[in-house]
Amino acid sequence: MSRVLALCFLLLAAVIGFLHIDSRPPWAPFAINAVTSVEEVDVPVSPKSKNQSISSKASIPSPISTWLPDTGAASVHAASLIALKDGAIRAFWFAGSREGAADVVINSAVFDPKSSDWSAPMVVMDRVSAEKGLSRYIAKLGNPVPARMADGRLQLFFVTVSIGGWAGSSISSVISDDEGLTWSNPQRLISSPLINLSTLVKSPAISFADGRLGLPAYHEWIGRFGEFLRIDAGQVIDKRHMSSGRSAIQPLVFVNNAQDATAYFRQTRSAGQAKQVPVSQTQNAGQSWQSEADLPIANPNSAVTGLQLNNGARILVLNNLETGRYRMVLMMADAKSGQWQTIEVLEDDEALPEDQRKEFSYPYLISHDSSDAHLVYTWDRKKIRHRYFSGAWLKRAQSQLDTPPVDVISQEAK
Amino acid sequence: MNSLMQTLALVEMSITCAAVITLLLQKTTSQEFPLISKVLLILLISNLFFWPLGLGMELPLSAYVRGVIGDLSIVTTLLLWTSLLSVKKFTPLVFKFAIACIAITFYPLALGLGMIDPYAWGYGSTLFFIAVLLFAAVCGLANWNKGVWIIAIAILAWAAHWHESANLWDYLLDPFLAVWALIAVFGALYGKRKENARSGYLFRPG
Repeated sequence: MSRVLALCFLLLAAVIGFLHIDSRPPWAPFAINAVTSVEEVDVPVSPKSKNQSISSKASIPSPISTWLPDTGAASVHAASLIALKDGAIRAFWFAGSREGAADVVINSAVFDPKSSDWSAPMVVMDRVSAEKGLSRYIAKLGNPVPARMADGRLQLFFVTVSIGGWAGSSISSVISDDEGLTWSNPQRLISSPLINLSTLVKSPAISFADGRLGLPAYHEWIGRFGEFLRIDAGQVIDKRHMSSGRSAIQPLVFVNNAQDATAYFRQTRSAGQAKQVPVSQTQNAGQSWQSEADLPIANPNSAVTGLQLNNGARILVLNNLETGRYRMVLMMADAKSGQWQTIEVLEDDEALPEDQRKEFSYPYLISHDSSDAHLVYTWDRKKIRHRYFSGAWLKRAQSQLDTPPVDVISQEAK
Repeated sequence: MNSLMQTLALVEMSITCAAVITLLLQKTTSQEFPLISKVLLILLISNLFFWPLGLGMELPLSAYVRGVIGDLSIVTTLLLWTSLLSVKKFTPLVFKFAIACIAITFYPLALGLGMIDPYAWGYGSTLFFIAVLLFAAVCGLANWNKGVWIIAIAILAWAAHWHESANLWDYLLDPFLAVWALIAVFGALYGKRKENARSGYLFRPG
């Protein structure tokens, strides 16, 4: 009798479980932005800079450079950006006495493109707020990554650690209805079966056609591999491996069309293996990924960022070195050739003795109008540098790609 | 809704901590505690874990434990809680063996051994769900009704989004259950080997 009762209860659970599975949203194709031809791109007005060093050549202003506001913290890192509805750019970064310290907070400030000024920094999240909101002990905070939800709200994903180093990370998120002025209570994303340990974010999310987000994440404890999380508001509703083993983290996704996307990774290979950018590809909107041949650009185990412009050209910012992070370059690939070329050396301390070289790392790129590019990156762990490249400047750089390349990718990877 | 989920998770963790401490106390004595003593102990200890105690701590004790080990699966939680009701009813070895086999295949694959990720099946794979139902039905046919109840409750908890996870695996399995099952299986194998050796000694010819 008790067995019959138990089996009847199981039957009830089975029916409810099947109804639950049936109510899940199907996997959607990627949302794609229309690509316009080069000739159709208007030259946008670039923001005025306080410290412009504009060459008088043509009427195209040089890229501008600013610094994110100083919070007085000794160590800053992992900056990210998102475009706001009013045309401003909001930055997020973490700051504290040192990376991984308990006093690290996630800061935010807004860049006004008209005045080229940053607002005063505000604290979005600190350790105590995170642990109270998540109802669990939190030891430290890490990388923040913002995203725009389909309903227009901002969502900020950020890394928290309860035990151990970054390998013990989990992702949480907060949501803002007012463009980042105030934030909801944090919610934990569950993405790993091993006590939810070791999932981190670094790169921008992409959108699915159904409005949900695809968040490139990575695992870096037992394995070091990319993961693609399908996010519905504050929870993971599906995920896929983007790579396997211990060789590639921090995936950056370029959407090629509704089904096809390419991911570039930061390599974490052991000594003796190629120090180049690992690549994965999906042809079913991220439901499965296959490893492809490396992009022949040197990578010293450091983050890569990039974006696609509305004319089809793609840009990357990375340290094109096999060891060290003392040089950072902006590269571009034309939509037709796909050949990556360096168009601007952003930082280079190669001439300095090794012990005086600074670290330039964790670049993050966004575009405000799909033709321009805002870049932020860690400058020697002490400051965050912001660079702005106007659409006109990038268009000119693209037009010069056809001239004999000075520094093509095959040379970079030597 | 989120705050209710967080509060319930802390209640669950407080009771689990109390259950573990009670079981450890029980191990120190050969005489089984009467049920009323166990209930009182659980009430007392779980309250200690649930309410903020101050003493320089920002959170209740259960939140510190939860920060380290996360939310336990429903299967682990219920096995632990029900083990307090009667220490004499053991979980069948074959169930532990099955859990151990699943765990040693599941965790390496889910943690990046290859591109196949069995953890992803837990978000809504019909085939995986049928496999879980079959596993539960086999528990019933093998006359371990408690297993059927526990798995069915885990499925209902998953469908109701009881914990933060939307993945059925997180309601069925966790590393602590896997380690417990592995220790039990290796313990049983070791015991069997010892027994064989002893019987071999006793009945060795001439």
